[in-house]
Amino acid sequence: MDKKKLRNDIILVLSLLVIAVVSLVVVNVNANRTNLIASISVQNNVVEKVDLSRNEEKDFYIKGLKGEVHVHTKDGAIAIIESNCPHQDCVKMGYVKESNHPIICAYNAVYIVIDGQSNYDVEIG
Amino acid sequence: MSKKLLPFILISLLTSCSTNNVIEDKVFCFDTTVISQLYEGSKENLSDIKDILLYYDKVSDNYYDREGITIRKIGSDPIKVEQQLYDLLKTSVDIKEKGAIYFNPLCGSLAKAWKASLADNKVLSEDVIASELTKINASSLVFEPDYILYKNGEAEIDLGGIVKGYALDKIQEYLKNHNIEKYLINAGFSSILLGKKNTNDGYFTVKISDLDNTFIKLKDCFISTSSKSVQGVKIGDITYSHIINPVDGSAINKNDAVIVVSSSGTLGDALSTSMMMNSVDEIKEIEKSQNVKTVVIKDKKVIYCNEGLNLFHG
Repeated sequence: MDKKKLRNDIILVLSLLVIAVVSLVVVNVNANRTNLIASISVQNNVVEKVDLSRNEEKDFYIKGLKGEVHVHTKDGAIAIIESNCPHQDCVKMGYVKESNHPIICAYNAVYIVIDGQSNYDVEIG
Repeated sequence: MSKKLLPFILISLLTSCSTNNVIEDKVFCFDTTVISQLYEGSKENLSDIKDILLYYDKVSDNYYDREGITIRKIGSDPIKVEQQLYDLLKTSVDIKEKGAIYFNPLCGSLAKAWKASLADNKVLSEDVIASELTKINASSLVFEPDYILYKNGEAEIDLGGIVKGYALDKIQEYLKNHNIEKYLINAGFSSILLGKKNTNDGYFTVKISDLDNTFIKLKDCFISTSSKSVQGVKIGDITYSHIINPVDGSAINKNDAVIVVSSSGTLGDALSTSMMMNSVDEIKEIEKSQNVKTVVIKDKKVIYCNEGLNLFHG
């Protein structure tokens, strides 16, 4: 009887461990996936989501507040390459591939943020 | 054993599988994206923070015209404004006494003129600079009791240099009142409010954009920066900045970037702007009197770092 009980306990603990490992893998895989998703927003509304992990070269023409903004992706990075804004600060930022480093075109109220994790929490500069 | 241990095992397994519990909101205001992350608190708290941000965004916007809240209406005739706008404007004037001698909320039209000129890759003419400086020096804001104020002269108000820090001060006040200690409010790249991180030591790792692979660990503070790396325009051998010297009217900064770690967002923002024109010796003096810590960067190198700040390479 005791042997049977012990065997059941072992089976239970092992099963739970398997569930834990599987859950951990699923959580981490999902976390890595979201790591490279760039959201393009206009005035607080997300208008496009781009999976940068596909390393695809793509163009997006976003209708901003005062004109069109040309967004380009390549090699897992994203940039605003053309905008009608007067100072071109957004274009000067170049290609970004890290989270915590938004690209902003204030003139057109367009901003691009890459969601996910990095080896730092926030960037100042 | 199974029956007694099962709930504990299940709870520990579920706990070990959970990721950091952070709730987040992104708001477009102050011409940038403000990202609010709370490691404790609720969505209602995030919503209140959003309201604070959007309120001060409107209050400080020169082009926003709404009854009660507007900078445009401030002229030579005394008018009653909302307490928040009155306090913000008063703070922007008083901040000069705290060492921010190169910060002036009345250099709006000079900054605009420089920005338009640099967009065409041209240096602003001496005549325009002289005329704008005359306007600035002849102008002042006059504060009367009961939130009544008026402006002498024709200079335009520009609160862009401090309003993000001011709003972050208000958010910190709100978070304290709601006993929320674990948070990060990132107002673009330049003004950040740090509480504690959801880890044992509570420190956040902050990457310094103007330096290669350089970081700093901080918590429970404001971090503000001014930099000409993105918005600077090179004409000939000189890089002209969007940060204008209100004393001589030039767009030339002594430093490439200044980072200020402080206990007040308003002070940090004003000092980081003003210190772009200060020498390192002057910055050290201001540090002592205002209890702030700074990093000064020139030519991609740290030319001064307060001994209380430990920069490290990742």
